[in-house]
Amino acid sequence: MFERFTEVARGVVTGAVVHSERLGADEITEEHLLLALLDRRGTRASFALAALGVGDRREALEAALAESRRRGGLSKADAAALAGIGIDLGEVVSKLEEAHGEGAMRSAGRRGRHWTGHRPFVPGAKAVLTSALRIARGRGDRHIGDEHLLLALAAHRGVVAEALADHGATYTAVERAMYGGAGGGANPGLAEAG
Amino acid sequence: MYVDRMTEATDLAERAGDRDPRVGLRAVAALRRLLERLEAVQVRSARHQGWSWQEIADELGVSRQAAHKKHGRQ
Repeated sequence: MFERFTEVARGVVTGAVVHSERLGADEITEEHLLLALLDRRGTRASFALAALGVGDRREALEAALAESRRRGGLSKADAAALAGIGIDLGEVVSKLEEAHGEGAMRSAGRRGRHWTGHRPFVPGAKAVLTSALRIARGRGDRHIGDEHLLLALAAHRGVVAEALADHGATYTAVERAMYGGAGGGANPGLAEAG
Repeated sequence: MYVDRMTEATDLAERAGDRDPRVGLRAVAALRRLLERLEAVQVRSARHQGWSWQEIADELGVSRQAAHKKHGRQ
């Protein structure tokens, strides 16, 4: 699959590995892909993000991601769904932090680094890469660039898409910023986030 | 697209009395995610306190093999 990635898109993937290491994570997540994407300058995705005003709001975006990490990677939509059946996620997180320390849920559910030191992509991040491929194919693009990675991240339900949307970068807005009003993108029919 | 879904999710939650299956299904999915996180936190804590896999498995109501297979690499 990677042979069809542009140099920029490959840079995003390797950048995600670096962010994962920097943050002391055992795996590479959608969040690391987004952070690596935000590092790029002069690329299609960076122009779209700048046009949407997201480029200047990186700190706010990172804070939102950190908050969802504290909730163990559950999204605000998850919190709303749980509230609907009488579960206060904020309360659960607080209780857990009282007993197990601040950020108790942060790295939970993550397996330890594989003994080879290999840092794997979580299923959600893998799904983003395949989605990018599908989106590129759907648009008739032969190569996968960072614009396809951004679209895939915005479309993939979960905390990253939610943080992007909260900062003005919904899938539709990104598509419009990148390709103009026509859009023309077929529904990518993306998988759910894990 | 996502914002639409998000607003939709909030609306759905507000109308929790409705019989729309999506409301319940999304709550189940969210609960499963929460459950996985909680289980990982508690198992890790138990291991740090020196609990055996058998003791952990007994409390969780699963076999020792199942508990170890799921959490063993933590």
